[in-house]
Amino acid sequence: MGYSVTKIIAITGKGGTGKTAVAALLIRYLCKNDKFLLAVDADADTNLPETLGCEVKQTIGDAKEFLQEVATNPRPDQPDTNKVSLLQSKIYEIIEEMPCYDLLVMGRPEGSGCYCYVNNLLRGIMDKLVQNYDVVVMDTEAGLEHFSRKIVRDIDSLIVVTDASRRGFRTAERIRELVDELEANVKNVYVIANKVTDVNRDQIEKLAGDLGLDLIGMVPLDPKVEELDIGGIPLSELPDDSIAVREVENIAKKLGL
Amino acid sequence: MADEFPFEISPMYEGERVRKDGMFVELGGPKSMGLELVRAADMDAIEDDQVTIVGPDIKEMEEGKTYPWAMVFNIAGELVEADLESVVERRVHDFVNYCQGIMHLNQRYDVWMRISKDTAGKMSSLKDFGQAVMMLFKTELPFIEKMQATFYTDEAAVKAQMDNAMEVFKVRDARTKDLHDEDVDVFYGCTLCQAFAPTSVCVVTPDRVALCGAINWFDGRAAAKVDPEGPQFELEKGEVIDELSGEYAGVNAIAKKLSGGEFDRIKIHSFFEFPHTSCGCFEVVGFYIPEVDGIGWINREFQGDAPNGLTFSTMAGQTGGGKQVVGFLGVGVNYFYSPKFIQSDGGWNRVVWLPASFKEKIAEAIPADIIDKIATEAEAPDVNALKAFLQEKNHPVVANWAEEEAEEDEEEEEEGEAETAVAVSPMMMPAGGFQMPAMPMMSGGTGGGIKLTIKNAKITIGKMIVSETKAKK
Repeated sequence: MGYSVTKIIAITGKGGTGKTAVAALLIRYLCKNDKFLLAVDADADTNLPETLGCEVKQTIGDAKEFLQEVATNPRPDQPDTNKVSLLQSKIYEIIEEMPCYDLLVMGRPEGSGCYCYVNNLLRGIMDKLVQNYDVVVMDTEAGLEHFSRKIVRDIDSLIVVTDASRRGFRTAERIRELVDELEANVKNVYVIANKVTDVNRDQIEKLAGDLGLDLIGMVPLDPKVEELDIGGIPLSELPDDSIAVREVENIAKKLGL
Repeated sequence: MADEFPFEISPMYEGERVRKDGMFVELGGPKSMGLELVRAADMDAIEDDQVTIVGPDIKEMEEGKTYPWAMVFNIAGELVEADLESVVERRVHDFVNYCQGIMHLNQRYDVWMRISKDTAGKMSSLKDFGQAVMMLFKTELPFIEKMQATFYTDEAAVKAQMDNAMEVFKVRDARTKDLHDEDVDVFYGCTLCQAFAPTSVCVVTPDRVALCGAINWFDGRAAAKVDPEGPQFELEKGEVIDELSGEYAGVNAIAKKLSGGEFDRIKIHSFFEFPHTSCGCFEVVGFYIPEVDGIGWINREFQGDAPNGLTFSTMAGQTGGGKQVVGFLGVGVNYFYSPKFIQSDGGWNRVVWLPASFKEKIAEAIPADIIDKIATEAEAPDVNALKAFLQEKNHPVVANWAEEEAEEDEEEEEEGEAETAVAVSPMMMPAGGFQMPAMPMMSGGTGGGIKLTIKNAKITIGKMIVSETKAKK
């Protein structure tokens, strides 16, 4: 508490571009630099915990469902239960506490029925929770569903990770448009090219330039990352001299982290 | 805020998370038991500002461990009464959280606290903490004249307090459940749904939960206290215009303001006349079935058709958007349990149809003498079957049919005598403001106009033009 400003970074991109790997490397860097951080997995196809090497039992989706059930119980035993404090307790309980970061997983989508009330409570709780950290890193799906609900309201930097494919860049473009449409409070939109090789490096730079995208870094295709991925070993285990690790460090510095 | 305490005290610490790494001890919470209780007491029974600790104090606690925890506050003052206990108790969460390095979560018998290493290091005893919290209580709630606290950290002692508290909560809950519209001076308004239903005004009263089913009167009270400018706010009842239908001057005033002048009257326990607006979030929608003069209800989960041939989503589409749609009404499930359930329109005696699964779910809310007379999709998939069922079971609405028929006969006779047969054509309908749902229920008759039965009505018409419709080419 008492950190003057919390930086909120959201990482998104087309599936398969390696956005979760980039998120994990960013978290790795921040941990090494003693930043106190909250990692949020906001992708329905949750795999940030695995990539970081930890296990999450319960999600915000579960907590919402729990509260929805309590809130809409037509015969409440305790009608005057304070639901904000009940939901807050549940959220604080499901936060996975790792040595240098806290982890929250958004998890399953909402059921039928009206979640206006629960989401409104959740926004208030998240507003206060994020203030506890120096940095919040969100791994989020390209559809930006959680942005439209504004569960986390103010994003400092939205980073779109793309591979060398035109499709990846097109997703980046679409996301930039979506941010405008959703009127989400996003200060900067950046692009990180991932799995970059000497063969495609120049083309990527040109493509980004043509599309007017702010390319903040190019993470090289790193055999060490592939090695860990295939073995299911968390990316936090990467050695300091990994070329991917070094580029993400540069990017973090450019982001002012 | 105060210098005499070893840690800082400020509302900015609300929401502070004490992490496992930075934690000295954990009190209560998911791994143990935690309790908080506020009890009113006589003035002379309280030693003001005193903190008693039963079990190990902070200096005797082992770092990193979890202890069972109970905190019991006794309050006294000229204005203090037992009814205030729960209101005061809900503030424990706020005031404990104002203390730097102390995390407080949840309530009642689910309390979870953590004390940071930093703050634990500054305290010589939990008495410092207790006195800080009591200082906050007496500053913020001046009706508390004397206050004392007892903290329990010994397992057996916590267990004993827990057993005792459960009894207290039981009595309190019974009283809470017995709260009705007439017992309070304020209701709560909610505008969460105005994002997509801009004229919707949700009125939350002890006898009427919000349409979404999620916000009851107590939630409104809690939210309005924390953020009076927020989506839930206090709504003065004002003058009681009609208690039966639930019409209040204060509600009408706010309805006019929040709907942008769209509505100026809302009767909160009425189905037909100035009904509550329907947002789109409602759990259940009620629909008038003119053929039987009864009301059917269909819930969001039910996928099939109602006897009028419509599904929940079709009717929800018709009803939603924040309008007063006469003939349809969105409600929360909880409203079926209200003693004032559409009481100005006959309450349960007007209910003729419910989906079977929903009927079973709310069975205990349905009066015993009517439950078997309410049809479901099994007995009444359509209006004709419904009519037959209601007749067979002698549902209270059947008595109204006879009345209506008798009145019709009289009318016909009169008409015959006066020889002024006025053809009532459907195009006159919109003029009355009574928007009968333009749905299949209107058809299926013999054709050739409709039948209007108006009882005890006072109709004032400034100007009415009835003209022949010219055929368009």
